[in-house]
Amino acid sequence: MAGASVSIRREIWQTLSSIKTGVILLIIVVILSAAGTLVLQRPVTDADEMQRAYSPQTLALLDKIGLTDVFHAWWFVTLLILVSLSIIAASIDRFPNAWRYFARPYKFPDKPFRRALPTQTHIPIPDEETGLVAAERSLHTLGFKPERVVGTDRLSIFAERNRISEMAVYIVHASLLLIFLGGIVDALWGWRGYVSLTHGQQTNVVGLRDGKKKDLSFAIRCDGAGQENYKDGSPKKWWSQLVVVQDGRDVQKKEIVVNDPLVFGGVRVYQASYGPTGKLDKLSLSAIAGDGAKKEISLGVNETAALDADTDVKLAEFIPDYVVRDNQVYTRSSDVENPAAHFVVTSKKSGKQVNFWLPPIEGFAENDRSPYQFAVDDLKMGYFTGLEISHEPGQWGVWAGVVLMCVGLGFVFYIAHTRFWVVPVRDEKGKLVLWVGGTANRNRDAFEQRFQTLTEKIKDELKTEVKSAASSEAQVASLV
Amino acid sequence: MARVQVEQRSNTAGNTLIVMVGLGVAFLLFMAFLNVVKSGNLLNESNLLYAALIFYAGAGALYLGFGVTGTDSYVRFASLATWAGLAANTGAVIHRWYEAGHPPFASIYEMLLSFVWTLAVLTLVAERKYEVKVIGTVTMPVAIVGVVLMQLLRTDVHPLVPALQSTWLHVHVTLAMLAYAACALSFALAMMFLIQDNVKTETFLAATSLFTVGVYAGVLTRFEKWGGLSLIAWNAQDKAEVFLQRGVRLFVVVPDLGWLMLLVALVVASPVVLYLVGRVKQDESFYTIANRAVFVSILLQLLALAVFLLRASRGQYASLDAEGLYSTSLAASPFILSGLVGGIFASLLYLLLLWRRNDLERLLPTADNLDRITYKTICIAFPLLTLMIAAGAYWANRTWGSYWSWDPKETWAAITWLVYAGYLHMRITRGWRGRRAAYFAILGFVVVMFTFFGVTYLLPGMHAYA
Repeated sequence: MAGASVSIRREIWQTLSSIKTGVILLIIVVILSAAGTLVLQRPVTDADEMQRAYSPQTLALLDKIGLTDVFHAWWFVTLLILVSLSIIAASIDRFPNAWRYFARPYKFPDKPFRRALPTQTHIPIPDEETGLVAAERSLHTLGFKPERVVGTDRLSIFAERNRISEMAVYIVHASLLLIFLGGIVDALWGWRGYVSLTHGQQTNVVGLRDGKKKDLSFAIRCDGAGQENYKDGSPKKWWSQLVVVQDGRDVQKKEIVVNDPLVFGGVRVYQASYGPTGKLDKLSLSAIAGDGAKKEISLGVNETAALDADTDVKLAEFIPDYVVRDNQVYTRSSDVENPAAHFVVTSKKSGKQVNFWLPPIEGFAENDRSPYQFAVDDLKMGYFTGLEISHEPGQWGVWAGVVLMCVGLGFVFYIAHTRFWVVPVRDEKGKLVLWVGGTANRNRDAFEQRFQTLTEKIKDELKTEVKSAASSEAQVASLV
Repeated sequence: MARVQVEQRSNTAGNTLIVMVGLGVAFLLFMAFLNVVKSGNLLNESNLLYAALIFYAGAGALYLGFGVTGTDSYVRFASLATWAGLAANTGAVIHRWYEAGHPPFASIYEMLLSFVWTLAVLTLVAERKYEVKVIGTVTMPVAIVGVVLMQLLRTDVHPLVPALQSTWLHVHVTLAMLAYAACALSFALAMMFLIQDNVKTETFLAATSLFTVGVYAGVLTRFEKWGGLSLIAWNAQDKAEVFLQRGVRLFVVVPDLGWLMLLVALVVASPVVLYLVGRVKQDESFYTIANRAVFVSILLQLLALAVFLLRASRGQYASLDAEGLYSTSLAASPFILSGLVGGIFASLLYLLLLWRRNDLERLLPTADNLDRITYKTICIAFPLLTLMIAAGAYWANRTWGSYWSWDPKETWAAITWLVYAGYLHMRITRGWRGRRAAYFAILGFVVVMFTFFGVTYLLPGMHAYA
């Protein structure tokens, strides 16, 4: 019984850690993600559009399977978790071997290894020491640090470079897991929302994507916002002057623009949009009294201004785009196309009220009975600034993963673990030769070239060595 | 003796082509010069682009000539012409950059400008460094299509909307262009590998035919009742597409064009059908007929292109969704146009293979080398893809507060990345070499093309700028 469960566990492990499983999982991920781009997705697409695009039955079916929100469906998340598990299992399965390779380099090549190595050569030498010294010098000039390996009965040389390259694949896979981890952290504890503020407004409640509200531990106030345009009228820049308010104090100030957010306590505030609220900010008026005296006033909706000791005027209503139907004034749109304002002039003494519209509207025209003549000088509409607010505690994992991945990929593709061994041996004729062999885990062409250079160098070194030895012998002879 | 004569003849024939191309280039440059003298402005962008187009066309003709005859001197002159074209192209890029005040990556016009430039550079690199001389036969026609498309698209410097004003955008797009160009190169190399690996010419026949069928199937998605073809309406004054409402384009129906496209679709499908019949019946004579069908299909494709050019560039057409007559323009349908031209080029390249396979095999590097170079190119493309996605994610995070939002372009970039990751895994751990690896590289490029073109025009998303 126990044996069966062990073998099942073994089987699961083997399946999970095999490359085949990994590739099949990746193919499924690819197919499902592709499906997620072909079927319209909620909540990016609004409900109306979904209903327009699909018949009710199809939509119900798609919703039921989860194809309308593939990337957040439980099965997609499960799939990604399986991919992660597969990467982890494959790495654990192969890592010990690679680690052994990495931690305990193979320094002395034994006979079978020497016979099997594809890149090798023999160089005749006068004696062991001369040969080894020549090889060491040549390796030095190639930028290696040769190491003498002392065996029980013989000496040899080992030199290597970029051993880290053997670990590169694990670095890449670990970085991928780090990115996934960051993504999972953000999916569980991160949130995104939207706030729109008008000049002077302050809020600490964020409307989240899923329609919920979130209370922040601080408030954001907008001290100003605006848009700059190109000559052709298209927007060039949106900016908002934001202040973070905590415990009644202003703790941080920043003018944010698109691509340059404000960060406070792990919460990021982005400039997302800017536009008219359709509501009036201020209306500037000139009031001309019967005697020709002119007074300039500025009014918001429901604000009152005094014209003289007795009379004041109130802006009761503002309609940005009005239309008259059946003796009623209606609002057609929130664009400032055809604005109209409704004023009430009140006399305190008599309590008499005069209603009038600017511009005068037929049937409502009580303009001439007002003691003042009014003219609109300027119209300032209210603007809102749209702010995206997000909290992504996992993003550091993601960025660390990205950097690590780039480093790892650099190692994987461009850095080869190169090894050379030099052993003095007797060849089949019994002559003393230097056995030189080498290997690299990638980019064989460049390695072959380097091996050629090395053997040429060793031969050159040997020649000069022999020559200098000969000349010193000659010197000795001449001295004698 | 006869042999010598033949060689002499081919030599003189070779010189004739060089002289003809040279005269053609000189003539066009002279005409352009006259034009410049009239307008008095020498180094503006459209002149430079025009010069680049002339040189690229000359280079393309010479590369094709080299492909067909194998005369070495062609490739020298072709290289020279490519260099000259690249110089003019570089001038255009710099001019654009200077005038716009930002690197030319903001609109599809500017991206094409950069793409063609990258392509020319890579062609010269491949030719010099890897000795893949005939690569210009494939890349120059693409460059020419690119420059012609640019003439159709709107060229006025368009100011950047706030979201695009970021250094990261330039990093992202530059990396994307480099990565996609490397992918394109790996695709061309994989194709050449298949030639050197003795893949049967019939297989290329079927593949070419399938590709053109794909193109015409794409075009026929716009087929309307009564044989019309709907095209996006174009407002000539604003140089812009006509919108019914936000995000909904107005289509006009060009009558009878649909029937023509349907006819051509059937003809371009005939080679693959004949090929299949031949395989099932194991009768090689069907392949001969299929090859003739390719020839006929090229003529018909040319006809379709000509009719499309004529009808789409002028005339007023009715729409199904709105009253009145509207005009359209070639600029409104860049993808149909490039599809049609691409189909013709693919078929011509097949003819080149059919007639000159031995010469090609002699001129290309060995299969082993091509296999290795393909792998190396992907080793360059993959890190670039990774960096491109990372830079895009970082930019999105700075702009929208989210590094990954599963929008279609992002998702397809990830799919591309996964496909190439699959290639690398199969090659490194499973030792996939040769043909299987080449097919994988080709699949990778197909996905890249879909990410680049397909997603922009078929799927919705926030990559609406590009």
